[in-house]
Amino acid sequence: MDVDTPAQPAHESPPAQEPSAPEIPPQIKSEPPQPKPGPNYKMKYSMSGHTMSISSLKFSPNGSILASSGADKIIKLWNTHTGEVMRTLVGHTEGISDIAWSNDGDYLASASDDKTIRIWDMTVGTEIKTLLGHTNFVFCLNYHPNSNLLVSGGFDETVRVWDVARAKALKVLPAHSDPVTSVAFSHDGTLIVSCAMDGLIRIWDADSGQCLKTLVDDDNPICSHVKFSPNSKFVLASTQDSTIRLWNYHTSRCVKTYTGHTNRTYCIFACFTNTAAKYVVSGSEDTKIYIWDLQTRQNLQTLEGHRDVVLAVATHPTKPIIASASMEKDLTIRLWYDDDYTP
Amino acid sequence: MNESLISPFNITHPTTVQTSLFALASFARFDPTGRYVATGRVDGTATIWDLDTRAAIRILDGHVKGVSSLDWSRRSRYLLTASKDWNVVVWDLASPCIPAQRCMTLRFDAPVISASFHPRNSRIILALMTTGEAYLVDQRKAHRCRVELCEMQDDSDEEGAGTSTRVRSAITVARFDPSGKHIFLGTSRGHILVFNARTKTVVARHRITGAGAIKGLEFTKTGRQLVSNSTDRTLRQFTVPTYQPPSVDGAYVEMELEPTHRFNDPINKTAWHAMCYSPDGEWLAGGAADAANHKIYIWDMSNDGQFASALDGGREPLLHLHWHPSKSSIASTTNQGNILIWHCPHPERWGAFAGGFEELDENVEYEEREDEFDIEDEADMIRRKMKEEEEEVDIDTVPEAAKPREVQHHGVTAGDEDIAWADEDPDEDLQNWRMRVIMEEDWDM
Repeated sequence: MDVDTPAQPAHESPPAQEPSAPEIPPQIKSEPPQPKPGPNYKMKYSMSGHTMSISSLKFSPNGSILASSGADKIIKLWNTHTGEVMRTLVGHTEGISDIAWSNDGDYLASASDDKTIRIWDMTVGTEIKTLLGHTNFVFCLNYHPNSNLLVSGGFDETVRVWDVARAKALKVLPAHSDPVTSVAFSHDGTLIVSCAMDGLIRIWDADSGQCLKTLVDDDNPICSHVKFSPNSKFVLASTQDSTIRLWNYHTSRCVKTYTGHTNRTYCIFACFTNTAAKYVVSGSEDTKIYIWDLQTRQNLQTLEGHRDVVLAVATHPTKPIIASASMEKDLTIRLWYDDDYTP
Repeated sequence: MNESLISPFNITHPTTVQTSLFALASFARFDPTGRYVATGRVDGTATIWDLDTRAAIRILDGHVKGVSSLDWSRRSRYLLTASKDWNVVVWDLASPCIPAQRCMTLRFDAPVISASFHPRNSRIILALMTTGEAYLVDQRKAHRCRVELCEMQDDSDEEGAGTSTRVRSAITVARFDPSGKHIFLGTSRGHILVFNARTKTVVARHRITGAGAIKGLEFTKTGRQLVSNSTDRTLRQFTVPTYQPPSVDGAYVEMELEPTHRFNDPINKTAWHAMCYSPDGEWLAGGAADAANHKIYIWDMSNDGQFASALDGGREPLLHLHWHPSKSSIASTTNQGNILIWHCPHPERWGAFAGGFEELDENVEYEEREDEFDIEDEADMIRRKMKEEEEEVDIDTVPEAAKPREVQHHGVTAGDEDIAWADEDPDEDLQNWRMRVIMEEDWDM
């Protein structure tokens, strides 16, 4: 029997505790690590304000503000600690699919079905730039760690890299053969990952725009969301076969699979928690939010309460807080806090 | 992070021009992070360019005469510009003011031809005047001083009649070594004087036979090698000796330095405008003072200084060049003020567009594994995959190779007194400072 050595991360339970009887699926043979005090997220705030489906949620880099966007063409900013609405940004002429904060927290970018990307100055709360170029709906976007570049993808099947300050497209990558559903920079800004409805995940050299790698799963399901791990050694990819996979893109191997949720139709976000306890969090079409242990891949907690598909989830940059938002029949944004969490 | 996916074998010296910046500049220098390039202009302004967007992001207007040199602090927060208007101006790039405001001005009593920060503390500045005097200015409270660095007039203790006629030679180059322990001064009479930065006393005096006036000095990142440029149109590489701590009685080492390599153009005998080592010290680039061509010569220092290649940058003659602090990239300045950014392009690998596809240089006979096409029981397969996924993954630790490493400087020991002196009263050039992204005004809207 494998009993863990004491050289474990600090969040493990004390070594004195007895290993409990295995309550795990029978197909796992080896003994799991000592039981951790699992996540215990509870809903703290339920906020409403959007009038149509909420498409994206993002915490500001310091975690004090939660931004939300929706099909109702507006962006709302919420105070993370009180749940109060702080500001509403109006300007897009069609629904918004995604938003992204610049890493310094000064700007927010939004991608819309009106084929534009707009940059909002967070210090004054007004729109200061419109990036024109996409020939169809803009679906996803993310900032470069230096906040000077922005990468976006859309239904015109391209990935574009923008000089934000000059509102100019620097690169147009004919990246995919179907709408691009997600795109992001690595933590050092040298790589871009993109995925599309063609089921491919591609890694690009940010500087030259060359394709460096393509990851593809056996049965090619539509890939709906992708992001780099904090150290950029892995990518977390959600596919519409109700599976989330963690890929080692160097070896092109899937190292973890997370299942249990339902994802067949929508592009649902997945994220890592940023606390010492590592979880993978995703929304689901069964109106729940799933939390898996990063290593054991077990579903540790399911958050229930939403009354429609949970599209957007976001994790706080430092604290054990999860934000989630739901579609048409619900229209609430919920903030879940894990108050029992001890690092 | 991208290095691991790009084949490591073709990373070499730059070969082609990637982009050209219309800067009207007389020289260009990369910053230590490699994100920016700063250019100095004859009209007294300096410009900072973002290499990601290739756009001018800051214009520093602080001089009434041409900018003669500039230097970055070690984490790029501070920038120094020296000018022929007798001033050295220090800029704080973390300041949110637009247009950028100077944070300090040092005034000298002659035009300044070069100035640089101490590599460990931007409050210590070395400046060189066109009149051939070098000053070390310390702005720190406890050490505040302005010292002229000059050769000691010690003809009394030397024997022979010839020495009494020795006149003070003008200083033509002043540089800190990469550790900041020593200051190297080149003179118009072909000497290199080495000063201790803390005590400001001479520790060594080297004669470079046949060199004439020293025009330039450049170090490798470790400070182990030094290359000099001089009026005899030859670049000389030296191995830097290890200097003893300065003695109390002011004695110093008088030693002739023998170059390990000499580089010159045997046919045209062109002089050199500038030279620079690659960050790993494996390549040396020399910018030829050719009046009709833009030529950069590259020597392979890991291969005994063998000539590797000559880069042709077109018709506009070269004025200056600088190698990127971490990448295979050079910024060279033309006499029309354009900055050429050279890079080493990676061949496009089309195979990367197909998943699980591997490009081979040569055909290989495919060897099938014994069980390769065996039909596996589905339950077994799931079990095997589950088993494989048991392995712990680390999603947080950044691989060591991707982090910027502290370079081990030549001649620096643990608990070095000189280093401790420089680290006293440090500047605010911290790791996590940031330059605010300024949105450009829309002209066309």
